[in-house]
Amino acid sequence: MSWFSDNGLLLGLATLDGLSYAAAIFMVAVGLNLIFGVLRVLNIAHGSFYAIGGYSAASLGLMFAARGLPAWAAFAALAIAAAIVGVLLGPPIARLLRRTQHQEPVLQLLVTFGLFMILEDLQKLIWGVQPIVFDRPLKLLGNVDVPFAGDLIPFTRYQLFVLPGIAIVTLVALAWTLRRTLFGRMLVAVTVDREAAISQGIDADRITMVTFTIGTALAALGGALSSATASLVPGVGAQTIVLSFAVVATAGLGQVEGAAITALLIGLGRSTAIYFAPELEVVIPYLIMVGVLLIRPQGLFGVIETRRI
Amino acid sequence: MLRLDEVTVEIAGVTVLRKVSLRVPPGGRIALIGRNGAGKTTTLRALMGLLPARHGTLAIDGRDCRDMPAHRRAALGVGYAPEERRLFGSFSVRQNILLPAEVLGLPEAEITRRVETMFDLLPELRELAPRRAAGLSGGQGKMVALGRAIMVGTRAILLDEPFQGLAPALALRYAEALLQLKSALPDVAILITESSPELLKPLVESTYVIERGEIAAA
Ligand SMILES: Nc1ncnc2c1ncn2[C@@H]1O[C@H](COP(=O)(O)OP(=O)(O)OP(=O)(O)O)[C@@H](O)[C@H]1O
Ligand SMILES: [Mg+2]
Repeated sequence: MSWFSDNGLLLGLATLDGLSYAAAIFMVAVGLNLIFGVLRVLNIAHGSFYAIGGYSAASLGLMFAARGLPAWAAFAALAIAAAIVGVLLGPPIARLLRRTQHQEPVLQLLVTFGLFMILEDLQKLIWGVQPIVFDRPLKLLGNVDVPFAGDLIPFTRYQLFVLPGIAIVTLVALAWTLRRTLFGRMLVAVTVDREAAISQGIDADRITMVTFTIGTALAALGGALSSATASLVPGVGAQTIVLSFAVVATAGLGQVEGAAITALLIGLGRSTAIYFAPELEVVIPYLIMVGVLLIRPQGLFGVIETRRI
Repeated sequence: MLRLDEVTVEIAGVTVLRKVSLRVPPGGRIALIGRNGAGKTTTLRALMGLLPARHGTLAIDGRDCRDMPAHRRAALGVGYAPEERRLFGSFSVRQNILLPAEVLGLPEAEITRRVETMFDLLPELRELAPRRAAGLSGGQGKMVALGRAIMVGTRAILLDEPFQGLAPALALRYAEALLQLKSALPDVAILITESSPELLKPLVESTYVIERGEIAAA
C-alpha cells in the first residue's frame, strides 16, 4: 500500500502514457497483421508508413497554421495526411510486394528491408534529420487533471481522449467490417485460403490491394496522431516496426481484438519500464513477447489450425 | 462446354501435365480417372486458372480463357469442389454456401432461388446451415463443398475426388445427389475425378484415363 501511495503519481503517468502509446502501436500493428494475412509477406517497410505519416501530418499541419487556417484544421491535417500517404504509397508498394509473394521468405524480407531503407532515406531527404515538432493539436485541447490513487495527474486531453478514442473507433470499425460486410468476408477468405477464395470468384489481387492501402493509411494515421505527442526524428519508423512485430507475434496472426489487447499490454509494459526501470524500456516489449510465445507458441489469441477443412 | 487442347502444365519446373486434351460437352457428365499423382487435381486447377498453362488452349463455353484471371471462372458459371473441401472454417455453412453468389453480386431473389434448388438436392444441408464450417465432419464438409459449387456452377461443376474418404453410406447418398443433380439441372456439365472408375460408372457418360500427366484413353 505504501509503495502505491509513494509512487501513485508515477504509476498514474505510466498508465496514461502507456494507454496513448498503445493506441498508436495498435494502429500500426493491426494494419501489419491484416496485410500479412492477405499478402503473406512480413512488410518491414510498414514502419516507414508510420514515420512518413507523422512527418506528412506535421508538414501539413504547420502549413495550415502558417496560412492562418482555424484550429480544427490541425486535426484535419492528421487525417488528410494519413489518407494521402495510404493512397500514394499503398497501391504501388502492394504491387511490388505481390511479385515476391511466391518467393522464399528470406527474399521477401530482404525486399521489404530494402524498401524500408529507401523510404527512410526518402524521408531524410524530404524532412531532414532535425527533430520536427507539431504539437498544435495537443496544445489546443489543453490539460485535464486525472484522479489516480489519491493524486491528481495533469495529462493532455489529446492523449487521454483523442488517441485512444480513434484507436477504439478503428478497432470497432475493423471488427464490424470483418464480420458483417461482404468485403470483410472476402478479406478473411483470401487470408485463410487464397486459392479457394479465388475459386469462389473473389478477385484476391484487388482485395490484397485494398487491404494494403487501408493498412498503410492506418499506420500513417498512427504516425500522424503520435506526431503531436513526440517530436519526429529519423529512426522512429524502425522503432515502430519492431514494436508492431512484437504486438503481432504476441497476439497471434489474424487477430484484430487480440492485437488491441496485446498493444495495451506492451504499451503499458513499456511505459511502466520508462518510469520505474528506464534501462529496461527497450527490452520489456520483447520480454513480454518471448514470455507469451514460450507458453503459447501460436500467440495469445491465435488458434492452432488442427486440420484443413 | 469445357475444353482443354494439348495443355501442358509445369509445377516448379517439372512437367506435370503433358498435352492433355479433354472435352466436356454442355450438360455432359465426364469422369477423369487416374492413380495418385497422375495429374487429376492439376487438370482441374489448370481449368480453374489456378495454374498457368505452359502450352495449349483452354476454353470455357467456347471462350478462350488461358489468360483470363482465375476468379472470373465463377462469373462464367463454373463451380469447383476441390479435393480437400477447402471451406472457410470461421464462417457458418450458410455463409460458405452464399459467399460465391454474394461475390458475384447476384440479386437477392436469384440467390434465394439457387439456395432452394440446392437445398432440394442436398436437404441435409438445411440443418447444417447455421453450424460453423470448422465443426463439420469430413463427409459433411464434402456435401457443403458440393452445395457451394452448385451455387455458382450454372454451366459446369468440377468435382475433385468427391468420394474419397466418404463412408459407404455417405458415398451412396452423395452418388444419389449427383444423379438427382443430373435430372434437376440437366444443362450443367460435370467433370468428376476419381482414382477408380467403379463408383462413377452409373453417373457418367464417358471416361478419360490419365496416367503420369498424359491422357491414356478416352
Ligand atoms: N505444388 C506442387 N509442387 C510440386 N509438385 C506437384 C505439386 N502439385 C502437384 N505436383 C505433382 O504433380 C503430379 C500430379 O499431381 P496431382 O495432384 O494433379 O495428382 P492427382 O491425380 O490429383 O493425385 P491424387 O489422386 O493423389 O489427388 C504429382 O506427381 C505431384 O507430385
Ligand atoms: Mg488430386
